[in-house]
Amino acid sequence: MKLILALLEKTRPLFQKGGRFTALKPIYDAVDTSLFSPLARTSRAPHVRDPLDTKRYMSTVIIAVAPCLLAAVHFFGLRVLAMVLVSYAAGGAVEVLLAVFKKDEISEGLLVTGILFPLILPPGLPLWMVALGSAFGVLVGKELFGGTGRNLFNPALIGRVFLALSYPKAMSSGWIEPGQGLVGRLLEYATDAVTMATPLAAAKSGTWAALPDLFFGNVTGSVGETSALAVLMGGAFLLIIGIANWRTVAAMLGTFVIVTAGIYGGDPHAIIWHLLSGGLLFGTFFMATDPVSSPIMNSAKWVYGAIIGIATALIRNFTGYVEGVMFAILLGNIFAPVLDELFVTAHVRRLREEG
Amino acid sequence: MVGSEKQGRPRLQRMPVARLKGGYNIGLAGRPVSRVVDLAVPGRLVLPLVSRCFRFKDIRVEEGARVSAWTVLATDPKRFSAPLIAAYGGTVRLDEIAGHIVLESLHGTLSSGSSGSDRDAQAGARDGSRGAGASGGSPADIRDQLVTLGAWQFITDARTDLPVDPAGTAKAIIVSTIHLEPFVASAEALLHGRLDSFVRGLEYLHELTEGGIVHLAVADDAGFVTDLAALVVHHSWCRFHTVTPRYPFGHPLLILRRLELGRDSDRPAWATRTAGVLAIERALSSGAPSVERIIALGGPAVSEPVHLKAVIGYPVDEILQNRLCQDDVRVINGGIFTGSDVPREQSGLDVECEGLTILSELRKRHMLAFARPGLWRNSYGRTFVSRLCQSGPAERLNTTLGGELRACVSCGQCMDVCPVGILPSVIHKFLHADEIDEVERMRVDLCIECGLCSLVCPSKIELLSDMRDARRLIREEHEVQEKLEAKAKREEEKRLAAKEARAAAEAGA
Ligand code: SF4
Ligand code: SF4
Repeated sequence: MKLILALLEKTRPLFQKGGRFTALKPIYDAVDTSLFSPLARTSRAPHVRDPLDTKRYMSTVIIAVAPCLLAAVHFFGLRVLAMVLVSYAAGGAVEVLLAVFKKDEISEGLLVTGILFPLILPPGLPLWMVALGSAFGVLVGKELFGGTGRNLFNPALIGRVFLALSYPKAMSSGWIEPGQGLVGRLLEYATDAVTMATPLAAAKSGTWAALPDLFFGNVTGSVGETSALAVLMGGAFLLIIGIANWRTVAAMLGTFVIVTAGIYGGDPHAIIWHLLSGGLLFGTFFMATDPVSSPIMNSAKWVYGAIIGIATALIRNFTGYVEGVMFAILLGNIFAPVLDELFVTAHVRRLREEG
Repeated sequence: MVGSEKQGRPRLQRMPVARLKGGYNIGLAGRPVSRVVDLAVPGRLVLPLVSRCFRFKDIRVEEGARVSAWTVLATDPKRFSAPLIAAYGGTVRLDEIAGHIVLESLHGTLSSGSSGSDRDAQAGARDGSRGAGASGGSPADIRDQLVTLGAWQFITDARTDLPVDPAGTAKAIIVSTIHLEPFVASAEALLHGRLDSFVRGLEYLHELTEGGIVHLAVADDAGFVTDLAALVVHHSWCRFHTVTPRYPFGHPLLILRRLELGRDSDRPAWATRTAGVLAIERALSSGAPSVERIIALGGPAVSEPVHLKAVIGYPVDEILQNRLCQDDVRVINGGIFTGSDVPREQSGLDVECEGLTILSELRKRHMLAFARPGLWRNSYGRTFVSRLCQSGPAERLNTTLGGELRACVSCGQCMDVCPVGILPSVIHKFLHADEIDEVERMRVDLCIECGLCSLVCPSKIELLSDMRDARRLIREEHEVQEKLEAKAKREEEKRLAAKEARAAAEAGA
């Protein structure tokens, strides 16, 4: 530990102004501040600050998706890990290149986007497409808007929509059959596995997957979304530590249940089946709660969640698409600035009355 | 809700918690115990000419002069000639430390009447040495006396938190005994053995405001709540409010707004704190100038956090001698949220000092700090294990920023913690986009500069500075606008006058 610190201190001048690798300063800084807490001190009041920083804030999401990732490897093979690595590498390359180019710091948002993106893709997707989508998501979905914190849309979703539009065939056929038994596909890479229809697609032709399979994830679907159990574990974690806003989650799931109940005449089996199938839970806990692309006011989050929940149920049941969560969330993202404007205006008007 | 109270009954009102939102008590190590330690006569006095509200520019003494105790050394010409008073006699040095008057070879002692406990004051009253005009003189005389004795400085305008002009009037005065900022002198320490003096001080305030209502805010967990309530219960002019003890709920402006006194602007409300009431009582009961302060000495770097009784100008380095557990420290005049750092060797207690908070400076880097579970971390959010199990000793927070500056991630923590309900992140964005009109629409004027938003921001954005900048810009813009309007008005008047003159000349012709 002392050694690494000494090494970092020794090489620091190389990256400072006038050093040999000044251009690579963003990379040096990222490594330096990730390994050791920075020496930056407060220069004005308040003289102490909360220990929470964006690195920790963002890395909590990685902890939260860990169960999903494990479940994914179990059902779809080691290939999933390769997808994650490729996604991080491609997205990271874009991020680093831009940071070097703009002489900016490397933002921690990548930690989240890089791992969420492969989890919403078909498990059989060629790796080069993963790379392309990840790079596109970071570049267009985030950096073109000005980087983390300024993006209008969830970058991972932008990457996915890009792939869906550019390679519709690959994106609708890479549904690998999940591994069975205790070991599953934990020990195989699984490129030659058989593909099959997702539960939602199968349901359109009348075959309903069994509820326990949906709950444990023994069905096909996007990499990280199939196991409701794993998603709920991660989601509960995010809610408990307060990183995911419970209002968004409550509004989204609540409206989804109500609309689905309306469609199926209150049939409890259908409601639970729809809750557990597809990307609904994953989208709710990990994508819709992204604070940057949500409205900021807590009151607005109710409406935001409701828009997504209703849209998901409607798209699933009344359009040609089998799954609607991703589009519904993008729709919510579009509405977020409008909701902000409305609710912030109402809020400051209330303040005015207060005097 | 206040007016509906029946007269003469104990008015133990709890501030409705729902209406006091946000706020946060940071668990800073080194909270001073209530014990008050008397400091010995210092080697010299170092009196700052500048404090938060005062600029003592009008220097009344000459270099090398021998002055006696209680001499007025300087006054603030802009603020009702508020005096800077020497606690001891001594030789004046004007150029020794820039921005300070230094008094050397001190002599004379504090007058016996000025130590301020109830017993002393009662003894003083028995001796008949009660200050002139305590209840005899007109309110104007009393105010003059308070100004001369340096006790008027404690009264502020509740809306601006700045000292008020003694010529003004108020219909109400808010007395806040809730001092939650880590660390300023606590009400327990200030009021220990002085409850009677305090209540007498409240009576004086009632007289000073010419029959105004005294709103007394007390933390609902304060040890003296019942005793104090029993003492003021018979005064129909005193309203007793208990408030949840969470920083910054003791801020007079918050209390003012919650009491809805703020709307009526024709007669402003005043505010003062525990120390102010005691200083006023002492000045009027014994005629002694207000040169003593009870201050908190706390913070993680203090070996024995206590309260100290010291005089204005007491050198900071003499106070800290043998009282720190380490040397590499930051000395803050006041608390961590609103205080400012002072050079340890080059300063003394200023007239507004309520405490010294000592933090250790950050010198060490921790490996993978962001990824550690954080069993003992002291955090507003819930991402550290410490928030789930509430175990382990409190963290000895130092001056670390705790991360790197990043763009806002819209986590909403600043919004949740803000006690006045404005949206710091939105104001920050508008301010940096130069949209001042939008900033104004977002009601940045409501900010009480408590500093909590800066504390909790994971992106380490200097939100408090942004709020201050925004308010300054808006003020300046208004001033420019007013000047332009005044100019236009003057020109219009000139034009009219010229026109009239012409008409008169024509009529004459
Ligand atoms: S905006 Fe002002 S009142 Fe609100 S938390 Fe920040 S400093 Fe305090
Ligand atoms: S606390 Fe900081 S990062 Fe969070 S919303 Fe406020 S300004 Fe943005």
